[in-house]
Amino acid sequence: MVTWKGSRKTLTVLLFLLPTLIGILIFNVYPIVLNSYISLTNRNKFRPNPDCSAGLNGVLDPLCWPGFADKAPKGLGSPYKLETPIYKNYADLMGKLFTGESMLALGKILLVFVPLVIANSLNRRFDRMMSRPVSSWLVWIGGVIAVVLVALLVNLGNALDLLMRTGDFLVVVGRTILFVALRVPLTFFLGLILALILNSPNLPGKTFFRVILFIPWGASSVAILVALIWQFIFRDQGVINQLLSAAFGINGPVWLNNPYYAFGVVVLADIWFSYPFFMVSILGALQSIPPDQYEAAEMDGASWWQQLGNITLPLIRPAILPATVLTSITAFQMFGTAFAITAGGPQTGANSPGYTEFVMLYAYRQIFQLSNYGKATAFAVIIFLLLFAATLLSLRVTRITKGAYE
Amino acid sequence: MNRKTKPGVRVLQYAILILAAIFAFYPLWFAILASGRGGSRLYTLSLPGMFLPVEWTFENYRAMLFDQPFLTWLGNSVKVASLTTIASLIVCTSAAFAVSRFRFRGREPFLIFLLAISTFPGILSLVAIAQLLTAIGLYGKHLGLVLAYTTGTLVFCTWNLKGYFDTIPIDLEESAMLDGCGPLQAFLLVALPLARPALAVTAILAFLSGWGDFIFAGVLVPAPDSMKLAVPALYRLANSVAVPWGYFAAGAVIVIIPTVLVFLLAQRYFESGLTIGGVKG
Repeated sequence: MVTWKGSRKTLTVLLFLLPTLIGILIFNVYPIVLNSYISLTNRNKFRPNPDCSAGLNGVLDPLCWPGFADKAPKGLGSPYKLETPIYKNYADLMGKLFTGESMLALGKILLVFVPLVIANSLNRRFDRMMSRPVSSWLVWIGGVIAVVLVALLVNLGNALDLLMRTGDFLVVVGRTILFVALRVPLTFFLGLILALILNSPNLPGKTFFRVILFIPWGASSVAILVALIWQFIFRDQGVINQLLSAAFGINGPVWLNNPYYAFGVVVLADIWFSYPFFMVSILGALQSIPPDQYEAAEMDGASWWQQLGNITLPLIRPAILPATVLTSITAFQMFGTAFAITAGGPQTGANSPGYTEFVMLYAYRQIFQLSNYGKATAFAVIIFLLLFAATLLSLRVTRITKGAYE
Repeated sequence: MNRKTKPGVRVLQYAILILAAIFAFYPLWFAILASGRGGSRLYTLSLPGMFLPVEWTFENYRAMLFDQPFLTWLGNSVKVASLTTIASLIVCTSAAFAVSRFRFRGREPFLIFLLAISTFPGILSLVAIAQLLTAIGLYGKHLGLVLAYTTGTLVFCTWNLKGYFDTIPIDLEESAMLDGCGPLQAFLLVALPLARPALAVTAILAFLSGWGDFIFAGVLVPAPDSMKLAVPALYRLANSVAVPWGYFAAGAVIVIIPTVLVFLLAQRYFESGLTIGGVKG
């Protein structure tokens, strides 16, 4: 340990940390504070300018600071001020979520997942027994059947419909969660398959494939440009439709105007960007498995599938779990791919979010296209709280900060 | 799994690998093909034309380089991304060193605080940042963009470098200090040279965060044309009716290919998990 004591050490540490601290305070903490404050006001397109004598405006809004006031935009309406009631933006956003009817619908949806939880805990209990009464596959199948039954019983479609009509918030967050739920597992499977193949010994051309398959990761740092190429491929007259007509004589659909196809194209393009990360992480984990484990399994006559399920997957789990959690959080915040391919569309109406308008696209449109600052910042605060909770939870699950405490 | 692979399995493995390779490479290959086709011939109706360069012209590249202000955009991007890299490395290295080498009160909270702060999505703080930059007169200037990017890289950059410094044994610095170095000298002369791989990867990621960014560049430097950065300028070009898509393809190829090459050169670092803090996947 570096040996400096007392005030000299404090001063040195402070000096080393100062640039980072100042940067973080000005460009990260202050925006969060200002955002939270604006979310309590009625600031919008017609009221962009603050009333500097009211509330905390004079302190928080740069428009009120000396040397800036003359550059302030002039609004059509009176200056913005605090909403009455103060949580009005949040209430507008959440809509009718907190009515008895919606809560009931939410309860029904949660109820659908209960059989899976039961199946999981049953399996754990059976695992602790000397000999399992039922195989784990049967328990899971039973769980899935129960899910379908419960879904029919509570009329799941109806409940979902009802929730979707409570306001923008649930629609946008729900579609984003659907996107994550499709994108992350598919990416994982693609990455797993490719990593397993690339890990097999004596595979001629391995290096070549490793390099080629790594390309999308590099391209993902200029994601918006590559996503534009994907958009072109799926245009009305794009490669896919030309291929369909040249090879099979089919007139392809207008991919990006159909809600389901457009959603699928965004998922596909985003899988393209993100599978190399999984492939590389899994490959690294696979290479750290000692080969004698497989040799022993081979001796016992274990099949390839048994080796996969009982050796490979459990042993790569500790390395893959953090990667999965991290990608889920970044997938939730995905912006570039959908923005370039569909720009949030196809639209359903002037005032409702489009089918691929995920959380970040929604925030972007509310702020930069509609100038609904109050509503957009309230949305931002809720999303921040969600992500914050998810990150803390994931840190606990994955112990990624383990090193920090030593 | 050391036994000999059965021929059937091998064939299946190669079939999957080849399909995946086409999936991985085709979008870029398509952009390269489109960049070599004349403006009116963007859509080819021949099947081979979609996969092979049956016709080739440098007209799009010529137009991008000499008729459009593309070189200016590229220059702006390189300038902003390089300044971001330098600033972010200087700031983060010192912070990461302090966190890795000193034990002080508030160390753990500081590290967790950094992670927590980084969950606030960049898009959402953009309004406040734009207002701040206007207040200090840097809105619409490259320097303002550099400031915004640099602070955006601080968290992953600090975590990344801290993680690597932790793996360098402190004994080396201690023996240097026995020989009469101060802690700062020991850090600069002993630890820093050893951390070269981590510094290189962090520099690459910091550079790319400025080089590939679209939202910040588009909002903070909206005009004039001569000030724009390559990525937002190309985005506008692609969506403009007046400019052929082939121009965009040529520009995109010029921007994307070097980016991918840098990644391929640094591939072994990425595969060694040196960048877990900088994951964007």
